[in-house]
Amino acid sequence: MITIPYLTAVSTYFSYGLLFAFGQLRDYSRLIFDWCSTNNLHGYAPICLAHEDFYIRRLYHRIQDCFNRPISSAPDSWVDVIERYSNDNNKTLKRTTKSTRCLNLGSYNYLGFGSFDEYCTPRVIESLKKFSASTCSSRVDAGTTSVHAELEECVAKYVGKPAAIVTGMGFATNSAIIPVLIGKGGLIISDSLNHTSIVNGARGSGATIRVFQHNTPAHLERVLKEQIAEGQPRTHRPWKKIIVVVEGIYSMEGEICQLPEIVSVCKKYKAYVYLDEAHSIGAIGKTGRGVCELLGVDTADVDIMMGTFTKSFGSCGGYIAGSKELIQYLKYHCPAHLYATSISTPSAQQIISAIKVILGEDGSNRGAQKLARIRENSNFFRAELQKMGFEVLGDNDSPVMPIMLYNPAKIPAFSRECLRENVAVVVVGFPATPLLLARARICISASHSREDLIKALKVISKAGDLTGIKYFPAAPKKQEEEKDRIKLD
Amino acid sequence: MYVRALPTTDVNRNTEWFTYPGVWTTYILILFFSWLLVLSVFHCSPGMAWTIVHLAHFTVTYHSFHWKKGTPFGDDQGIYNRLTWWEQIDNGKQLTRNRKFLTVVPIVLYLIASHTTDYQHPMLFLNTLAVFVMVVAKFPHMHKVRIFGINGDQ
Repeated sequence: MITIPYLTAVSTYFSYGLLFAFGQLRDYSRLIFDWCSTNNLHGYAPICLAHEDFYIRRLYHRIQDCFNRPISSAPDSWVDVIERYSNDNNKTLKRTTKSTRCLNLGSYNYLGFGSFDEYCTPRVIESLKKFSASTCSSRVDAGTTSVHAELEECVAKYVGKPAAIVTGMGFATNSAIIPVLIGKGGLIISDSLNHTSIVNGARGSGATIRVFQHNTPAHLERVLKEQIAEGQPRTHRPWKKIIVVVEGIYSMEGEICQLPEIVSVCKKYKAYVYLDEAHSIGAIGKTGRGVCELLGVDTADVDIMMGTFTKSFGSCGGYIAGSKELIQYLKYHCPAHLYATSISTPSAQQIISAIKVILGEDGSNRGAQKLARIRENSNFFRAELQKMGFEVLGDNDSPVMPIMLYNPAKIPAFSRECLRENVAVVVVGFPATPLLLARARICISASHSREDLIKALKVISKAGDLTGIKYFPAAPKKQEEEKDRIKLD
Repeated sequence: MYVRALPTTDVNRNTEWFTYPGVWTTYILILFFSWLLVLSVFHCSPGMAWTIVHLAHFTVTYHSFHWKKGTPFGDDQGIYNRLTWWEQIDNGKQLTRNRKFLTVVPIVLYLIASHTTDYQHPMLFLNTLAVFVMVVAKFPHMHKVRIFGINGDQ
């Protein structure tokens, strides 16, 4: 639940109105300038329509240096960020050869597999020497190696389903699989804050799409009742299939899905449940098995479980886990399996090794240590930020914590101030978030040490004071000291 | 003083910002401050300033609500390219609270402008024309109607 001070909401609208007005003024003057100058491209259609591009040209480009920062080292807890400069007010950015070592609060490196790992990396290098960097083929032609077969078995066992299929790209897993599962005459009910990959897949399937209020099982039930009663649009025939799509952890809010209630609603109305665990697999739950383990939901109740390997496993690609018949059907029909290049073999080996470490099958307890550390780090960081007066979203135990900024001017201010103090944060604004709710999203990793977190807190507090984002009153200091004493004891 | 921001079910990013708290107040405050600005810049009478604000409001809102079509984002893939902003808000549902508020604002502006100018011509004529066009454009029956093909698709 996001609580905004009313004055901040009004001032944010004012700011966006001003930016919009200035953007329109500049567009009009550009129109006049171009009318006077000659154009040697007569008869050619414009590449993109002027109004479609407006947001990118007039708002995004002004603060371009806060996004897409190139890095020159592995995304560990500390990362080398390459410095850039601009001679034309951020329209183009040029890289220099210098880089700064910054604390990395932006990478989805939840379990610390993002850099050299003593168990995984030697095995990946061995696999690279044996199988080479790419299979150069799709899975059905010549792209299935023994490592791929082992990976699918390993993933299915880890997630708790009978079978799994693995694709080479996480985004493409959603956008290529959803059109195969459902088509015209079906109904997709998706959470209002679902990721673009799900939206793309749903739009590409041709099914009717309805949206329910974020994480509200009561509204989902209302939408289901209404849609089942009405049937397909215009013909009012019963729906061929209903799939409800939810995510485990929502990456922009850090909130954990209310899975038990949603599964019970879907069971009642006989709809299928599609769970996207991109951010929650490997990061939450006692053995890292995701949101089902955390909330005590039987994996047999969730029909299709999807996830990606980019966040907790330090690799690339995505998987779908389900019943044997479902996976068999997907292997015959899914274009990501039939035509796309298979996941590269060293990356597959990285995933297998990472899963072995998490489950403790490599003979050490590093996996359990990592899981405990990420939970501890997330809870400590979130509690400290809330004590300082920041508005932090997300549930306890979730390693994603967005700090609300709201005003558009605070987005670049916070980001640049943090970079000046050698802390790299990710800031997000419209259109990835609603207009009013711009935020800085912090991702905590198991590889962050306590000193790293304390340094980050100091820097964020200073940047927060400068930009004025401590919207809540800070907890009084005496209580803080007492709590610290109790913690140490 | 805090307000709650509940996430909406509107998927159209061009219009969902209008469902959050604080928009109506900002709209009214912008109108009030622009009246003060016009008064201080042009040194005219309050009535003349209200007329100027009313006509400027008519131009700006007619252009952005009822003339410009589509969304300023490329990745909507053109599904709203035939709809003006007015036809997009609230998913096309008519007579919602937002629409009623946006219909009342030009009417109230008209009343203030005509009252403060003592119903004199030519301001009265211009104001009446503006409010007539504004209100007719917002009727539920005018949803997706293009008179004489004006602003229609190619």
